[in-house]
Amino acid sequence: MNKVIIINLNGNAYQLEEDAFDALRAYLDTARARLEGNPDRDEIIADIEQAIADKFRAFLGASKTVVLAAEVNSVIAEMGPVEAAGEAGAAQGAASAPAGGAKEAPKGGPQGAPRRLYRIHDGAMLAGVCNGLSTYLDIDVSLIRIIFFAMSCVWGFGVVVYLIMAVIIPTATTPDERAAAFGTPSTTQDFIKRARDGYYEGMRAFRDKSEYRAWKRKFRQEMRGWRQSFKMEMQRNAHQWAHNWHRHWAQHPPPVFLGGWLLAPVFALASLVVTLAVFYAIYSILVHGAVFGIAVPASVPSWAAIIILILLVQLVVWPLKAMRHSLTYGYGPPYCHPFVHFWNTVASLAVFVILVWLFIHHPSQAHDAIHNLARETRAAFDSFRDWLNTL
Amino acid sequence: MSSINEKFTPIRKGLLEFLVLKIIASDKVYAADILKELGATEFATQEGTLYPLLSKMRREELVDYEWKESEAGPPRKYYELTAKGRDQLRETSDYWQKIILTVKNLGQRQGQ
Repeated sequence: MNKVIIINLNGNAYQLEEDAFDALRAYLDTARARLEGNPDRDEIIADIEQAIADKFRAFLGASKTVVLAAEVNSVIAEMGPVEAAGEAGAAQGAASAPAGGAKEAPKGGPQGAPRRLYRIHDGAMLAGVCNGLSTYLDIDVSLIRIIFFAMSCVWGFGVVVYLIMAVIIPTATTPDERAAAFGTPSTTQDFIKRARDGYYEGMRAFRDKSEYRAWKRKFRQEMRGWRQSFKMEMQRNAHQWAHNWHRHWAQHPPPVFLGGWLLAPVFALASLVVTLAVFYAIYSILVHGAVFGIAVPASVPSWAAIIILILLVQLVVWPLKAMRHSLTYGYGPPYCHPFVHFWNTVASLAVFVILVWLFIHHPSQAHDAIHNLARETRAAFDSFRDWLNTL
Repeated sequence: MSSINEKFTPIRKGLLEFLVLKIIASDKVYAADILKELGATEFATQEGTLYPLLSKMRREELVDYEWKESEAGPPRKYYELTAKGRDQLRETSDYWQKIILTVKNLGQRQGQ
C-alpha cells in the first residue's frame, strides 16, 4: 500500500504514488533550474508538463487511476534531460540516441545529490534566509517567517540568528547552486530512510524472538529512565535559577519610589508616544530620506541612519526606562506590580493596534516603507559582508 | 559503430534546427509529430531537447504556432514557418548542398 499524491500538470489532475511524485518533482525542478534565465522558461515548462500529462494518460484507464513510480521513471527517461537550446556548451552530454538517452535520463534529476542550504532571492522579503530555509526544510515559507518574527518579538534573538545566517549562508546565484538548493533533501526523508535501514540491519542481529523482545524491553526502560532524569534535571535547574534571582533581589533591592507605581499610566503613555515617534522617524527615513525635516546626508545610507536613530533614542529614553523599571519591580522583586503590568500591556497593545490601523488605512505608504526596509536591509547585509571580506 | 555515433553527436545536434525547419515546412505539425518523424532516423531526439529548441526558434521568429483543438485531450500547439523561417531554410539548404559537394569532392584528385 502506498500513499497517493494528487498533482496538477498544466491544468490536468493526476494521482501519483509518493515515490513517483518525488521523481517527477526532481525532474521538473532540474528542468526549471537548467532553463534559468530563459525568457520562455514558464512556457517550456508548461509544454513539458503537457507532454508528461499526455504520456500519463496512456497508462491510465477505468480500472487504473494511479500513476506508478516505475511508469513515471520511464516517462522521465522518454522525455530526456531538459537542455537549453543554442546556448554555449549545450553540445555537451547530448543524448540524441534514444537508447543512450533512456539510460541517462533518470540521472538528470538531482536525485541522490544532497540538498544544500542557500539563500534564495526570488520572492525573498529581506535577504532570502527564510526562503532558503523553507526550500531546504520543505516547510512553507510563511511559517518560517512567522517563527522568526515571533522569535524576534519575544526574545529578540530571531534578529541575531537572521543576521548571522544572512552573512554565513551563501546566495544561490548560478543554476547549479539553485539546483543544489532544490535538490533531494539530505535531511528528513533521507534520514528516516537511513534510520529504517539501520533498524532492519540491527534486527537481523537477533537470532530468536525472545532475545529481541528482551532487548526491546531494556531499550524502552532505558529511554524512560533517561527521559525522567532529564526532566528532573531541568526542574532542578529552574528552581536553582529562581532561587538565585530571589537572593539577588533581596541583597540588591532596586530603588523604590513609594507609591511610584501610581505613575504607571504616565510612563505607559510616554513609552507609547516614544515608540510611535520612533516608528514614524524610521518611516520618514525610509520613504522621504529625512527625519522631522532634517535630511539624512547623502553619504550616510538609510540603514545606517536608522541604526543611529535607534541608538540615539535608546540613549535619550534610558533614564525614563530606568525609572519605569524601578517602579515596575517596586512591588517586591522579581514580581511585577499588577497595576504597572496592566498599563505596560495596554501601551504595547495600543502600539500594535495603531500600527495595524495605519497599515489598513494607508496601504500604499506601508507598502513603500516595507519595500524600502527590505531593500535597506539587503544593502546593510551586503555592506557588512563586504566589510567582513576586507578583514 | 557506436564511436562514429558518438563522434557525430555535436553535428547531429547542430543539424537538429535545420531538420526541424524542414519538417515544419512540409506541413503544420505539433511537437509529437516532429518527434515521431525524427524518431525513425539517426536524429531521434526527446522532448527535453525539442521544447527548448522550438521556443528558441520561436523567439528568433523562425517559427510560429497556433492553438488547435484535438479530438482527444487538450488543445495543441501547431507550428508553422514564418517568412523568416522559410528564408533561413532556403539558405541552410543551399549551404548544406555545398557541404555535401565539398565532402564528396575533397580528396578526389589524390584518389584518382
